[in-house]
Amino acid sequence: MIARELSEAPHRAPSERELIMARFTRRSVLAGSTALAGLAASGLPALGQARDRAVVRVARDIQNLDPAFRIGPIEGNVMRAVYQRLASFKAGSLDYENDAAAELKQVNDQLIEFRLKDGLTFQGGYGDVTAEDVKFSFERFNSATNKDGKKSSYASDWGALDKVEVTGKTTGKIHLKRPAPALFRITICDGSGAIVSQKAFDKLGDQVATQAIGSGVYTMAEWRANDRLVLKANPDYKGPKPSLSEITIKPVSDFKTAELAFRTNEIQFTEADSGSADGLAKVADSKIIQLDGMRYVWIGMNTEKKPLDNVKVRQAIRLAIDVDSAVAAAYNGKAKRANTMIQPSLLGHWKDAPVYKRDIAQAKRLLAEAGYPNGFKISLAVLNTAAFRTIAQVAQASLAEAGIDCRLDIQEAGTYFSLGRGDAGKNLELSLQQFSAKMDPSFTSQWFVSSQVGVWNWQRWANAEFDKLHEMVDSTIDPAKRAAGMVRMQQLMDESAAYVWLTYDTSLFATKSWLNPGILPNGTDWQYEHFKSV
Amino acid sequence: MIASAREVLAKVWAGGTGRIGLVLVFVILFVAAFAPWLVTHEPNKLDVLHRFADPSFEHLMGTDQIGRDFFSRIVVGTRLAVGVALAVILASLTMGTLLGIAAAYAGRQAERVILILFDIITSFPSLVLALAMVAMLGPSLVNVVIVVTITFIPHFGRVARAQTLALKSAPFLEAERVLGASPVRLVLVHVVPNIMGPLVVLASMDVPVVITIEAGLSFLGVGVRPPLASWGTLLYDGYQHLSQSVWPVIFAGLTLSAATLGFTLFGEALRDAVDPKLRSRAA
Repeated sequence: MIARELSEAPHRAPSERELIMARFTRRSVLAGSTALAGLAASGLPALGQARDRAVVRVARDIQNLDPAFRIGPIEGNVMRAVYQRLASFKAGSLDYENDAAAELKQVNDQLIEFRLKDGLTFQGGYGDVTAEDVKFSFERFNSATNKDGKKSSYASDWGALDKVEVTGKTTGKIHLKRPAPALFRITICDGSGAIVSQKAFDKLGDQVATQAIGSGVYTMAEWRANDRLVLKANPDYKGPKPSLSEITIKPVSDFKTAELAFRTNEIQFTEADSGSADGLAKVADSKIIQLDGMRYVWIGMNTEKKPLDNVKVRQAIRLAIDVDSAVAAAYNGKAKRANTMIQPSLLGHWKDAPVYKRDIAQAKRLLAEAGYPNGFKISLAVLNTAAFRTIAQVAQASLAEAGIDCRLDIQEAGTYFSLGRGDAGKNLELSLQQFSAKMDPSFTSQWFVSSQVGVWNWQRWANAEFDKLHEMVDSTIDPAKRAAGMVRMQQLMDESAAYVWLTYDTSLFATKSWLNPGILPNGTDWQYEHFKSV
Repeated sequence: MIASAREVLAKVWAGGTGRIGLVLVFVILFVAAFAPWLVTHEPNKLDVLHRFADPSFEHLMGTDQIGRDFFSRIVVGTRLAVGVALAVILASLTMGTLLGIAAAYAGRQAERVILILFDIITSFPSLVLALAMVAMLGPSLVNVVIVVTITFIPHFGRVARAQTLALKSAPFLEAERVLGASPVRLVLVHVVPNIMGPLVVLASMDVPVVITIEAGLSFLGVGVRPPLASWGTLLYDGYQHLSQSVWPVIFAGLTLSAATLGFTLFGEALRDAVDPKLRSRAA
């Protein structure tokens, strides 16, 4: 079961990370400029000035609005606004409350009962929201295929699902094959918990990728590929009306272009990079929101490749790299240093994780003991973004002091994400990586198990105890037991010395003072339904 | 008739733009030649606490995003730009000249093959061809030199061939041949010196193009690798951190502009000095 989930999981990670890659590619400068020109020509400034409408910038175009085949958080954010779920996150919080469900009860570890609110209807004349729709929405994650015959990239979200039993028009039971402690936070409250209309799916077929038929706060009024997606308040929504009557989502890939658009009020909300945040804070009627990041960044070492197969070499590299300088330079002092995999805000954070201070003398001693008194040559694979280039150059200079000649292999996203895959991954040496976390630690740890070697485990580090602990954490309800397991897993990673933890990044947003955005603590999940005009 | 080097330089100096070009070229070559003595700091030494420092007596052009002294990086970048330009020009001039002479002297089939080769290479814009080749070979300083050299060979080859064809039937060459001079001697002693004038002018005018291509490749991330300082990477890193400091972009941009302007003005003045007929054609 676990193995199946994991085998399906990798498709999610690159999607989450695409948001980050889109930041600073050189081609994106041109594309972004074009988008900005289009933005200016589209007459949208007028929209931006009304205080019940906002233009929001996203880093890339929306690609698929079928919840099971969404690409990443950019689509997920739209889905949470258009589709209802049984429960949804409160504004800016990991706490959740009933959404489409009038009652939602965890009867035991493997059974959840629900009753839908009365009178919920899908837009476009697709009828009432029923328990049959809930069953269809959840069960299709494990059975549906797209037009290429591929299963859902998010199938693992519902990996624990046995079946949904419909007991009445609006009532049902969710039967699980095993306990799933992260089910609410990772699945039910997120895009994978979206309740879609079975009638609409039957009628629209493949068009569901471009037409979102929901019962949520907003309706999708317009979508022009590579230009805009417009959300309008759903007149049939039974809950409180949203503060904004209209939200226009504009894809602008380049940060610099987005910054210019924000300065000229073409857009009213955008993610900002650490370099531009201070400048944007000075723009009239604007403010910067900063959240502790949940994107963990580290330098991984291929434990199968010489000389990195020697633990003393890995320890030497860990001691040689100036983590504090790398993080300070790359994030302009706005991000904190990380010392372990799990973020402090998540269950299972190892608060006593060792803080490795730079020690060149000790690093040289370890290299000598490992048989490399004169150092060696090595390469560091880096995704081409400003922050990562900076980290890489600091690491390169740090390693040089220990006698290690590090060549930077700076790659664009298209090639970077295949570096660790399959047999190609055997030749990888050092790699600077960043993954996004979700609200449960098992989501984070899943990429480091042995079945992920050659997929997303680019360190090729395999540890049976780690695998077992991950399986336990992924299927145990008791928080204390889960936390203890997570800490032990991080200790095993530390013993391997295959990871130089750098930071959890930081999430920065520029917004107009009148606009209060809804952002979940991970920074990548936005709640359009909670964007407020103040 | 080709003038002596001293006469040519005097003519270049006599013109207003030529003088500006000569001064700029001299400064750039001087900086490139004496870079190790001109740097004020170790160019790759990090000082993260003092990143994005404004220009001062301590850091003449400020510091970059990881606190490296920008003046020192510009200086070593000058050495790299001039080094790449000279290596490329020298290699492409040599190979282009040899191929051009070979095309002029070899049989019809060989000439056709060489000319088709030139046509294939010149049918692609230099930068696009360089980008494609670097994508295949992988980014590195050596590959940049190889790739740009290949794109410039036809440039010199065509001129060398045309000049050789014009010279081939000259009476003094006929006389040498009658006296029993070998083909190698004819080429090295008589042909090459007599066709070098226009080729040198062409070379001087190609220097800024090579500098721009190298900087362009580095800006696009397929040129030299960090921590080597290329004007292109300095400009790109500066652009990425523009909101924190404008100085890196200003200084890298000014340096690149001054170099291309200087070599262009110098090349044009050199062309006019060597062959006044070209000036009247250009006018």
